[in-house]
Amino acid sequence: MARIAILIVAAALLPPVAAAGDEMPAVARKFLAANCLACHTGDHAQANIRLDRGEIDWATQESITKWNRVYDALEREAMPPQDAPRPSSADREDMVDWLYRELMRNSDVGGTVPRRLNRQEYENTVRSLFGMPGFELPDAFPADDSKHGFDNVGEGLVLSPPLMAQYVALATELADEILPPDTGPALVQSKVYQLGTGGLAVEGGGPVEGGSFRLVSSRNMASAAAWPARFEAPQSGVYRITIDAAPFQTDRMFYDRRASAFRLSIYARPKTDQVYAPFGEIRKLAEFEVDPDRIAPQALTAEIELVQGEIFGIRWEDGPAHSDPPSREYSRAFLADRLTRDRLYYAAMLKFQGGQRGTTQSQVYEATRSLMESGELDLNDPRLDKLPEVWGGGLSNGPHNWIKAFVHEELLRFGPAVDITDLEIKGPLRLIEDDALRERKARTRQFLGNRPPGSTDRDHAEAVLRRFLGRAFRRPASEAQLRDYTDLVLWHLEENSDARPEDGLHLAVRRALVSPNFLYRGLRPGPLDAYDLASRLSYFLTSSPPDGELAARASAGSLTDANVLAEETERLMGDERSGSFVSSFTGQWLSTRWLRGIMPDPRLLQFGDPDRVAMIDETELFFAEIMRENLPLQLFIDPGFSYRNARLNKIYGGDLQGNHMRRVAFERGGRFGGVLGLASVMMATANGVDTHPVLRGVWVLENVFGDPAPEPPPDVPAIAPDTSGTTSIRDQLAAHRADQTCARCHNRIDPLGMVLENYDPVGRWRDHYPVYTKPPDGAEALKQEYYSTVGKGAVAGPAVDSVGILADGTRLQDAAALKRYVLEHIDMFSQCLTEKLLVYATGRPLSFGDRRVADRIVASVARKGNGFRDLIIAIVQSESFATR
Amino acid sequence: MDRPDRRRFLRGVGVSLALPMLESWAPRSASAAGAERAPLERLVCIGTYLGFHQPDFFPAQTGPEYVCSPVLKPIESYREELTVYSGLDHRGRNGHLGWKAWMSGSASGSVSMDQLVAAKVGEHTRFDSLQVTCGNPPDPARLSFTKEGVGLPMIGRPSVLYRTLFRSAGDSARIDYLLATNRSVLDGVTEEAKALERSLSASDRAKLGEYFASVRDVEKSLEKQRIWLDRPAPKVEYPLPEFDPVAPDLALECESIMYDLMALALTTDSTRVLTFLVPGWSQVFTIGGRKLSAGYHGLSHHGNDPVRIADYNLVGIEHVKRFGLFLDKLRAAKDSGGRPLLDSTAVVFGSGMGNANTHDNSNLPTVLVGGGFRHGWHRRIERNGPSPRLLGDLYLTLMQRFGIDIDEFAGAKHNLNEDLV
Repeated sequence: MARIAILIVAAALLPPVAAAGDEMPAVARKFLAANCLACHTGDHAQANIRLDRGEIDWATQESITKWNRVYDALEREAMPPQDAPRPSSADREDMVDWLYRELMRNSDVGGTVPRRLNRQEYENTVRSLFGMPGFELPDAFPADDSKHGFDNVGEGLVLSPPLMAQYVALATELADEILPPDTGPALVQSKVYQLGTGGLAVEGGGPVEGGSFRLVSSRNMASAAAWPARFEAPQSGVYRITIDAAPFQTDRMFYDRRASAFRLSIYARPKTDQVYAPFGEIRKLAEFEVDPDRIAPQALTAEIELVQGEIFGIRWEDGPAHSDPPSREYSRAFLADRLTRDRLYYAAMLKFQGGQRGTTQSQVYEATRSLMESGELDLNDPRLDKLPEVWGGGLSNGPHNWIKAFVHEELLRFGPAVDITDLEIKGPLRLIEDDALRERKARTRQFLGNRPPGSTDRDHAEAVLRRFLGRAFRRPASEAQLRDYTDLVLWHLEENSDARPEDGLHLAVRRALVSPNFLYRGLRPGPLDAYDLASRLSYFLTSSPPDGELAARASAGSLTDANVLAEETERLMGDERSGSFVSSFTGQWLSTRWLRGIMPDPRLLQFGDPDRVAMIDETELFFAEIMRENLPLQLFIDPGFSYRNARLNKIYGGDLQGNHMRRVAFERGGRFGGVLGLASVMMATANGVDTHPVLRGVWVLENVFGDPAPEPPPDVPAIAPDTSGTTSIRDQLAAHRADQTCARCHNRIDPLGMVLENYDPVGRWRDHYPVYTKPPDGAEALKQEYYSTVGKGAVAGPAVDSVGILADGTRLQDAAALKRYVLEHIDMFSQCLTEKLLVYATGRPLSFGDRRVADRIVASVARKGNGFRDLIIAIVQSESFATR
Repeated sequence: MDRPDRRRFLRGVGVSLALPMLESWAPRSASAAGAERAPLERLVCIGTYLGFHQPDFFPAQTGPEYVCSPVLKPIESYREELTVYSGLDHRGRNGHLGWKAWMSGSASGSVSMDQLVAAKVGEHTRFDSLQVTCGNPPDPARLSFTKEGVGLPMIGRPSVLYRTLFRSAGDSARIDYLLATNRSVLDGVTEEAKALERSLSASDRAKLGEYFASVRDVEKSLEKQRIWLDRPAPKVEYPLPEFDPVAPDLALECESIMYDLMALALTTDSTRVLTFLVPGWSQVFTIGGRKLSAGYHGLSHHGNDPVRIADYNLVGIEHVKRFGLFLDKLRAAKDSGGRPLLDSTAVVFGSGMGNANTHDNSNLPTVLVGGGFRHGWHRRIERNGPSPRLLGDLYLTLMQRFGIDIDEFAGAKHNLNEDLV
């Protein structure tokens, strides 16, 4: 290729004619010279867009991408910039028409390279192929790269040696699961495990002298049960446990002496799990009763079934503290009762306030007790007449936790409680067929089908493989493939005289699972046929392979009918597997996948995984409703509804109770709701510590305006926001824009970010930036429930200034104004969302031709009222979707 | 161009003025200088997930006269064989996800130092490298990454590590069968791919090229496994407990066993590269008969509360104690040249977590033990000088001493030879 160094001295020069590529017609060269080359010339061309070559090499993707951008800029009249002389509209139209024809000629619809199944698709495909809904890839399984915004784009789905090694290993594991190797009958290896002598230590509960331990009642395994630490079921089987238990009741109990039996229960859980699972979620194995009046330990025996790797916990189930609460309210009621019945204790607790961070349970108890005995507490304090307003208020320091710590310790010291004085485990007495084994046997039968009596091994293998390969390859196996795989089975049987047909099929399954026909889709040339179309549709809307019905319609050949395609699209959108689409698409379009890597500043608020989950659930439920109800696209921007739970009160205010997500409606035009007001989006576009208008601005341009900002030039230092309040972010950004190079893009980016500055790094509305400092005497601190107790505290800093002036001169006062702006330009948003969906569905960056298909989809859906479901159907029926 | 010469040249123009004249900076391939110093043979990297309390980990004084810090007390007898570094890190992002960058410098996944070493020395042993942890590690935690940026799985059960190292004959038969048949599987799918290839366009063929390359690579590693399968596994006498202490509460016990098995892996020359992620969850440890005031993760977010810091240190000290016992085994064992194994083994001990209280991944706790380096002091890295040293510089020194031709890693472009060699 000719690489001629051209130095353009004056902008008015006509570009010279070069040797390679397609020469431009004079009309185009004149237009560029008059309107573009002043800035887009030479090695330092603006935005790295160089237009002075006089030729276009349509063979390279870079060149196509570049002229695509030129087209967009001219078509939207974003270039030449406002302050430069403008071309006449006739000249502009001529240039746009010429570029349109050239781009269509050189970058028509299509261009997807073969797509390897991504992590999620692979997992779902295995689940569906083998009927293993619980199948999960190991943590170590490699994640996929994201290209063009999504992790299901062919280009980014690279196959690397470690990934191939994982595929090979998984293929063996899966084949073992479906067609287990014959290992002969399992041997029973029974043993006796004993407390103390047998090394059977116990964790949990309160240790008592002589190796015994004491159980009080509470909510979860960690605080209320005891479990053997040096034991896990070596095999799935029946174990005999013997527990020596005695009641523990003293004269100093606060609670009534117990006259009825103590109920002890045995629970099972996997050994490696954390111990905080509520009892309601784990398996109960046995129940005992302990006589409250017999002082001597009573031997309690039961035979329990444990699955390999499980351990068991012992729990006193019906004590005074509280048993299985259906929700937090239950335990709150218990704690409230304690405060009402014991005024002296309430007074002491108010005075002590839980002590320092890290105060232990027994320190809480001792301190509270000595206050109660001091005689100095004011029992006429009016605060004692009502219950605390705030129960939580920090992970370790809320009244909820002080009371729990105190009561737990009180029960341990004085009862009522249950002492376990000895424990023995014997077993397995016999092995059991656990659920996993039963399911495995059923899967094997299903996989092998009914072998007709008298059939040869070859017939049998071929029948099994015809079914299996058709599903694994997502199209009927060719006769050649079938012969090939059947030969493999037969070869194996010949080589190994003691092998069963299953062992040969085991090998065939392993091969199919690393075959390119399984791992890739779109591996055939030519137009998509019905099977390709079925796969594309199914992976688009369910991240899973076609189900029986879709496969049947593909094989009947009716799928190429637009109405049938629409019907199937409707059906899959209603299928529960469409949850994969909702979470995968929103996770990437709305960037909520980033939330996992963001740890909010603990000074900002106490934030945990359940909060993150609630934010993501909100996003997905909101999106799912728009899809389910075919709501207009406008509702993505200003819905007037959302889904929330009590966790999200601390983000949005409100007083929801309980952790289930429910729909909430509110007035349109306000602060919250929609992709420009969701906490998840606002958090994902900040860093957990402070906000950064540039990040949010870039995000909005890319994901709402559909007009992505180019990568920043190298060597430009990042703007680091100064949250101490001395320099405002607006001033810093203004300084940055003073540089002409920066200004081109930042004039578009910054205002969109500034407008969202009222959302703090976790998506809460704020009118002032917080300054983390101890509030001076008399000054008002920011609310404790919002700004956590970690650190010194926070006071209101500089006011947030959210005005943004767009490149077209529109002045936006705040987030609500931005939403109104997008609603007024709904086709812009519709185009953006359509292009995102097309990339996700087809797995390719959109060609110029694809984007013109998107134009037509946007227009046709707008005529029908902009329903989101209609949009998805239009996409599936489009030429782009049907083209490889 | 010959690499060492190039490096010498670079030093000549750039940084040599700031450094004392050292003959032995050059890797061993530089004929004149490196000959008297034997190359490194083994690498062990050990990181605790929840870090250490920095003020109690780093000694207060720098230089050779430092007073051993409370947390490092259990390995004080090694002070002449170790160097404590403060101020080293990758200048990377913060948070638990940032932990992943500890050995690679990149939180988003790129090759870790140990895997580059494994590529150099791995051919000599049954396992190129082994990755070890206790139980099921917390989700984002990974220590070793392949050159494709893939986090390697870790073995968390002592019995599995034991079987991997010293497998029985029955295991061998099955492994042998799978390895042999995997070859026919891979041959078969290669044929399938070739059949598809014929009808594909150029860009589609390029995509399928990834498939062929990956299959070939896997075939090569299967070949190595088969060769080793024919050699008997080493026989050891080790009282492996009948249960795997993989419950979070028993993590310290698991840690002890894993150290024992790691020492055996090195002394039997089963591998020469080991990484060990010492995990931490919310488990409440009982140490010295006392239940600690909070769960381990809670303690690491100590909020500068002295009670919690003290308990956090207690856990840290337990880690260092176990590490010390591991070092004892390496000191006692001899390598093929009759020297203590520790002298030809570089051991990096520390954490990818700097200050767990604030999730800050700077100033990472770092100790380098053994490897025949010039040891015996606490070196504080100045973070603001003209060319501040990074953790990657320490890794460069190690990799160069393994004979790897590398002079840039994780953003670092120097090495720490001025301290160590």
